[in-house]
Amino acid sequence: MSLIHLENVSKIYQVGDQEIRALDQINLRIEEGEFVAIIGPSGSGKSTLMHLLGCLDTPSAGRMVICGNELSRATPDQLAQVRNQEIGFVFQAFNLLSKLDVVSNIELPLIYGGVPAAQRRERARKVACDVGLGDRLSNRPPQLSGGQCQRVAIARALVNNPQIIFADEPTGNLDSATGLAILGMFDELNASGKTIVLVTHDPSIAARSRRVIEIRDGRIVREYKP
Amino acid sequence: MSLLVVFQIGIREVAAHKFRSVLSMLGIVLGVSSLIATMALTRGMEEGTRTFMQQLGGLELVTIAEKNPSSLKMDFANLSPGLTLRDAEVIRESASLISHVSPEIAINSLVSSFGQSGTRERRMIRGIYPDHFVIRMHQIGAGRFLSDLDVQRGARCVVLGNTVATQLWPEASIESLIGKTVLIGTSPFEVVGVLDFYQSEEQGRIRRSGKTSMRWKWDPFRIKNETVLIPFTTLFHEFRSGVVSDEKPNSNKRNDSTEPKKTNVTTESSKTNESIDSIELEALIVRVRDLEYFRPALDQLRKLLDITHRGVDDFDFETREDWFDRVESSVRAARLSGGLISAISLIVGGIGIMNIMLASISERVREIGIRMAVGARPRDIFLQIITEGMFISLIGAFLGIGASLGLIEILKLISPTENVPLLSWDGVLFSVVFALLAGLLSGIYPGLKAARLDPISALRYE
Repeated sequence: MSLIHLENVSKIYQVGDQEIRALDQINLRIEEGEFVAIIGPSGSGKSTLMHLLGCLDTPSAGRMVICGNELSRATPDQLAQVRNQEIGFVFQAFNLLSKLDVVSNIELPLIYGGVPAAQRRERARKVACDVGLGDRLSNRPPQLSGGQCQRVAIARALVNNPQIIFADEPTGNLDSATGLAILGMFDELNASGKTIVLVTHDPSIAARSRRVIEIRDGRIVREYKP
Repeated sequence: MSLLVVFQIGIREVAAHKFRSVLSMLGIVLGVSSLIATMALTRGMEEGTRTFMQQLGGLELVTIAEKNPSSLKMDFANLSPGLTLRDAEVIRESASLISHVSPEIAINSLVSSFGQSGTRERRMIRGIYPDHFVIRMHQIGAGRFLSDLDVQRGARCVVLGNTVATQLWPEASIESLIGKTVLIGTSPFEVVGVLDFYQSEEQGRIRRSGKTSMRWKWDPFRIKNETVLIPFTTLFHEFRSGVVSDEKPNSNKRNDSTEPKKTNVTTESSKTNESIDSIELEALIVRVRDLEYFRPALDQLRKLLDITHRGVDDFDFETREDWFDRVESSVRAARLSGGLISAISLIVGGIGIMNIMLASISERVREIGIRMAVGARPRDIFLQIITEGMFISLIGAFLGIGASLGLIEILKLISPTENVPLLSWDGVLFSVVFALLAGLLSGIYPGLKAARLDPISALRYE
């Protein structure tokens, strides 16, 4: 079984009496160790797909299996557990807690994963050093640059040692040099065996992946290797 | 994920938003401090009334009071002699369930020390039987109480209350006063005893610490300390010139002590027997032998008095029981209403917490979304909010306890001595529990609201 397996998945939103098909009969497989880019204009449904794959939502119809978990009819608790154990998120807006310092931000998934306190701090510190933030451990996000914030976010995504990293426009809020450095980190992660799913509207960023899936109006219209 | 960790997160959140947290705990601080202060006040009231009751005498006492006879017996009310010494004699002889009988008569007269220019003051002089000392629970400070013999002989001796004694002879110690002469009106009396100085514990504390309070404070023991007691018969013969004094001129009585005792006793007692019905009493207080037979004792009293009063029900029993009940129920009412008001303020405090937490939830939607994205389950979010509420209210409760200690000190300065507020640890415990409950309840709605957020829209929330 593939790491990610979607079969005839649809997502339908009800707005008033109008039915909006954000995703329409999607079939998709992603294998372990792949570096996939999902590309499409805004409103194409790529964010909805991202949310489904990231276990933030469940499909309206179809079958969805992620890391061996059948999630077509999952409860919020099941989704939370998969998000915690199997998935790491990197967002465009970093989404760090500004009241907490770097280490506390990084250890957040470990807290909800039930890891004992001492071990938590140690692992968070180690990952922070891995992404090059060893000298910033007790700073809080407002005191960091955009690139550093995104490194904190990546460290947080990695700390629980998940199989899949989802990145939603990870370079959108960064200048191009920093963005390149961050993309370089994703390359390294992929090289070390992590499965990466990157959502972007920028074809030049998508070109760094091994496989590009193009979405338009809720359907996969094209798949190619760059 | 363990509860402990959830608590840690909640506590860290509270610490991270200090100003907001302090604002929201203000209501709890006020509620807790007022609750504890109210309980201390009512506790003080209880203690005050208890000491007051103790010095009045125990539950065993029954005061026989006169009242208007019922309308059916109005027509022959004149047949009853009223409350007389005969009642006391009959009760003493026949009522087996009564252990002490204390009939009293009283006059007002000037009291001064003989041969000295000391104070002359108008005092209440009581004529009593020795049982009086038991019933009023007097303690002798120096000398002795009045004895049966004093009463039989109509001796001219007096037992003084401590305040009276020290006012008459300001410099002397009470031991040296025994044997001195006091003038009641114009008649000389020999001091045979001086009573202890009665004071509440609080007064004793103030006295010992050397502080003298300039302000006048209501003193439950004042009356007791200003007692002047002489034998019943002496007072009757000396100051109530009725039928009896006519039979025996005053000059004779003055020489009582020099006459042979035996004859004196017989004349006194025979005379008392003749006039016993005509000696109306100021008060008649009896003591029940055993509290277990309290009701039967009252029945016994009623039957005896029915005979002596010739069937006219012009008497009534006042028991301390009624009194205690009345006082206690009023204290209870005060405690209840005070507690209720403070409980309401605690509830208001809880609503304050809820208000601010609700506001903070909408401010923290994004934070909640982030926590959910990294794997927090709805119940983790719910518990976090609940913990925050409880933690805030717990800190509020501790601050409130601190504030209430200060408040009680202030109340101590302005409240009367015997009702001084007393910190009760039940009250402290109760208010902490109540505050925690308020925090818990105030966290439920915001917690549910936060837990139900959709992670996607929460993450997008700006």
